[in-house]
Amino acid sequence: MGDWITQSSQLIASVEEPHGADSHGGDHGDGHAWVSWEGLLVYVAIVVGTLFVLMAQAKKGLNNRFFTNKLTQLFEQVYLFIENMCVGTIGAHGRRYVPMIMTMWMLVFSGNLLALFFPTSPTADLSFNLGLALVSVAYVQYEGIRANGLFGHLGHFAGPKLGGFLALLISPIIFVIEVVSELMKNVSLSLRLFGNIDGGHRAAEAMNTLGAGIYVPFGAFLLPIKLLTVVVQAMIFCLLTAVYLSLVTHHDDDHGHGHEAEAGHAEVAPAH
Amino acid sequence: MSNAKQSSGPPAIVGIVVGAALMFGGFWFSKNVKLEFIKTLEAQGIPLDPGKTISIIGVLLILFPVIKFFFIAPLAEAIQNRTTELERTFGEAENLRAEMTQMKQDYERRLVQTEADAREQIQSQIKEAQSLRQQMMAEASAKAEELKASAAREIETQKQQAIAELRHHVVELALQATEKLVEANVDDERNRKLVADFLETVEAPR
Amino acid sequence: MTGHIFGLGIGLAALGVGIGLGMIGNGAMQGMSRQPEAIGKIQVAMLIALAFVELVCLLTVFIVPGSLKI
Repeated sequence: MGDWITQSSQLIASVEEPHGADSHGGDHGDGHAWVSWEGLLVYVAIVVGTLFVLMAQAKKGLNNRFFTNKLTQLFEQVYLFIENMCVGTIGAHGRRYVPMIMTMWMLVFSGNLLALFFPTSPTADLSFNLGLALVSVAYVQYEGIRANGLFGHLGHFAGPKLGGFLALLISPIIFVIEVVSELMKNVSLSLRLFGNIDGGHRAAEAMNTLGAGIYVPFGAFLLPIKLLTVVVQAMIFCLLTAVYLSLVTHHDDDHGHGHEAEAGHAEVAPAH
Repeated sequence: MSNAKQSSGPPAIVGIVVGAALMFGGFWFSKNVKLEFIKTLEAQGIPLDPGKTISIIGVLLILFPVIKFFFIAPLAEAIQNRTTELERTFGEAENLRAEMTQMKQDYERRLVQTEADAREQIQSQIKEAQSLRQQMMAEASAKAEELKASAAREIETQKQQAIAELRHHVVELALQATEKLVEANVDDERNRKLVADFLETVEAPR
Repeated sequence: MTGHIFGLGIGLAALGVGIGLGMIGNGAMQGMSRQPEAIGKIQVAMLIALAFVELVCLLTVFIVPGSLKI
């Protein structure tokens, strides 16, 4: 056991070395280190391990009457919150996507929480966030294809149905724009999370530098706002996934309305 | 819905195998492949490692089905069961309450009924008693009247008898006196009649 | 010198984003005060809008240093 702890602590220590030190010292060159592959694995292992321990504890309290276990109650509240969000955003059929979005929420939230205590965390790593965003957007495409069929889903990209000549002119342009916007969803999802969590770290570091002369860690005073960021960013990640899902998974008969709904993202999709 | 998803979607084991392959592929990619545009990105302060991203996709592909079957499905089922249980319990309670209300109404109705019955019975008893009393009183007074009447009759009879006797004695006395007076026998049928007639005339104005 | 311009660029972005966030907050609060029963929906929509605006500032942080290099 002790052996394992020394090994993993060495691993954490070793991964703090700058990743691209040879190529670039950088404009942001305050010696900020990016974790290597193994380091990210350690942090992900911490997150996932914690989650599984908590879930195993909470699973013991499951019964069909009343959850007396505090942990189970907590997870129940999370479940109800996610379910509420899904049903409110996607509509009556949104309950199907709850497991996916809840897993995502738990991962992002615990990753964000980890960022409060550790110098880095999974969600403070752009690669992790990009992976998460790719999975999320790919899941959205998968659900869209399942709901509308492959051509129905691609037809979504082509925008509203136009007649004859106009369709040939405009639809390809809209198609290209929509595909690019799908790609940008990845970037925006991942960069938002990364920027918020890593930005919190950098702001704390900068403020610590400010107070270094008088030995006051000003950065620590950022903790409340970082805590707020933790909750809000986890929620926004899942909410945006739910919104993307709601855009592609309404019923087949009204393709044309899908893009009008885009104007009002959070509008509850009418349950048919 | 979820059953349809199970059947139409790829089974979880495929996700796990692909995820594991992606994890190791990502490790290899991270160690051996250095792309040019990654360096450009890093120069912009965007630290991206595609190898890590690939590995994370693999990890997530494993994680999503595992967490779903390990925890979220049982949780959702438990919550669902609890909700139905609660609904059932509440429905039962509601039914029981309705039944109880019904019973209470019944009971109250019966209570009112019983009270009315009792009151009616008492009234009828009182009425009966009163009529009985009336009847008894009437009987008693009738009897008294009768007794009075019979007594009066008897008195009348006695009186008549006494008067007749008295008259007889008076006639006897008068005749004896007259006999002594005149020393002759006047006691015959004609004199007796004469005295009786006289007494009649004396009696008459009384 | 580039450092100063970098700072200025981020400052400008923060200025615009700050105005944008303020306007979103303003609109959301007015809406909430007019219709307190719709607070939940307004908050969700507000958070999404905030996230989109915030992204602009974050993008600036990553794009400004690179573009100055060229």
